[in-house]
Amino acid sequence: MVTAASEKARDEAARFVVRMDGDAWSAADEAELQAWLAEDTLRQGLLLQMQAHWLALTPQPEVVRAEAEPEDADAAPTAVWRRRGVMAGIAASVALAFGGLRWSQSPAAYTTRLGEIRRLPLSDGSVMTMNSGSELTVTMAQRAREVEITQGEAWFEVAKDATRPFVVASGDVRVRAVGTAFSVRRREMGVEILVTEGVVETWAEGDRNLHMRLQAGDRATMNASAVIDYETGISSSVDRALAWRGGMIDLGGRTLYDAADEFNRYNSRQIIIADPRIAREQLDGLFRVNDPEGFAEAVKASLGVSLDTSNPALIRIE
Amino acid sequence: MAGGEPARRRRIAVWVACEIVPHEGRIRRWLARSRLSPEDIDEVMQEAYCRIAMLPSVDHIDQPLAYMSAIARNLMLRRLKRQQVVVFEAVSDIETWRDETPSPEEQAASRISYERVLAIIGALPERCRRVVELRKIEGWSQREIADHLGMTEKAVEKQVWTGVRAIRDAWLRAEAQSENRMTPAPPKEARRW
Repeated sequence: MVTAASEKARDEAARFVVRMDGDAWSAADEAELQAWLAEDTLRQGLLLQMQAHWLALTPQPEVVRAEAEPEDADAAPTAVWRRRGVMAGIAASVALAFGGLRWSQSPAAYTTRLGEIRRLPLSDGSVMTMNSGSELTVTMAQRAREVEITQGEAWFEVAKDATRPFVVASGDVRVRAVGTAFSVRRREMGVEILVTEGVVETWAEGDRNLHMRLQAGDRATMNASAVIDYETGISSSVDRALAWRGGMIDLGGRTLYDAADEFNRYNSRQIIIADPRIAREQLDGLFRVNDPEGFAEAVKASLGVSLDTSNPALIRIE
Repeated sequence: MAGGEPARRRRIAVWVACEIVPHEGRIRRWLARSRLSPEDIDEVMQEAYCRIAMLPSVDHIDQPLAYMSAIARNLMLRRLKRQQVVVFEAVSDIETWRDETPSPEEQAASRISYERVLAIIGALPERCRRVVELRKIEGWSQREIADHLGMTEKAVEKQVWTGVRAIRDAWLRAEAQSENRMTPAPPKEARRW
């Protein structure tokens, strides 16, 4: 049943869709819309759905899309790869074009800055998505595909190629896949592996006893001498932990301490928890990675704490 | 206003119109298998759209339908697990969805047909239909339509508004019909609390 309240919200959403469809959308209209959206988080979804239903009625949506494209030019192009990386990447694809006679053996280095999330197709058809502040090298050899993570995290969708194992190294830890999807993150206490598809094998270089098979929905953290943490069958929490691929942080019951740490991975404006007693409070919610202010406001509202935002480089939760 | 928030919003809406709207029925059918009520399904869909609406960009999404389904699935799982009476079967059902994500070919095949668009527009009330036809089929702006039909822009706006709401209802009706086709037995009730 449609309740009276939601019927009203629909009518209002429709009114905004119509005005956006006209030619006179102004800054004042935008402000009015933002105020309306702020009243209820679900309104964002309602508005998007109605706007999309209206747009879908244009017989060739592709034309609409093409017309929307040029605006993309406004977005400042971000530096993608380090120069060396670009050159090695080109070399690799040239090698491919010549029937794979010559593989590029020299490693290519890629980095992401703070707050930058990059999706990079590799020459073997695999795709890697690098999280904020990460550094890694890729070597595509004839018999092996090797990635070394020196800092940060990346998620890999590996193209099947049984003759060339895909191995990710981070410190002493190795993770090997044939055709699957998983992420590897280098953390202080060890290397964290999340598997989203298929099966991976992981071990510590120098100690083959530390050998594990992980499957979709598993999470493990290990270092050179121990498996520190292992959980199985937690697909939804694995998906949540990888929300960054869509530019989001999904808290799903994590502590305030963890959450602040997560935001600090992406933003130069760091969140500091001044009162250790609230650090273990658990939180739920979905936020954009680049919105620590919005997160802090939500914490303020739900935990009844106060914020000190006087320093532009910091947000203190007290 | 070329860039900024309105442009981001429009890009995402166009993307949803092209990639998700044609498949909405399919996603809702998946959700219906969890045996939750249609109202709960409505809420899950709206919540899923919320998450899309908040994305800074959708350029990184290669498989839109799979992406949207994954979001809807997670929201549904969360909702089921919050319930006091959990239909265990329903949870395990949903957890196998990943296998059913369509191939890129399937994804490309189901665009909205021109006939379907004409049928939806054709069913609108007379005055509203003329305005929507000019806007959608002829591609005229609201102002041009006002000049042509000798109406004020406000009046055109009002007709478009009627159109936007009717079109939404038409989509939802079409979905409800396909849901009925797919689920012959009435779903068992699973209440939220």
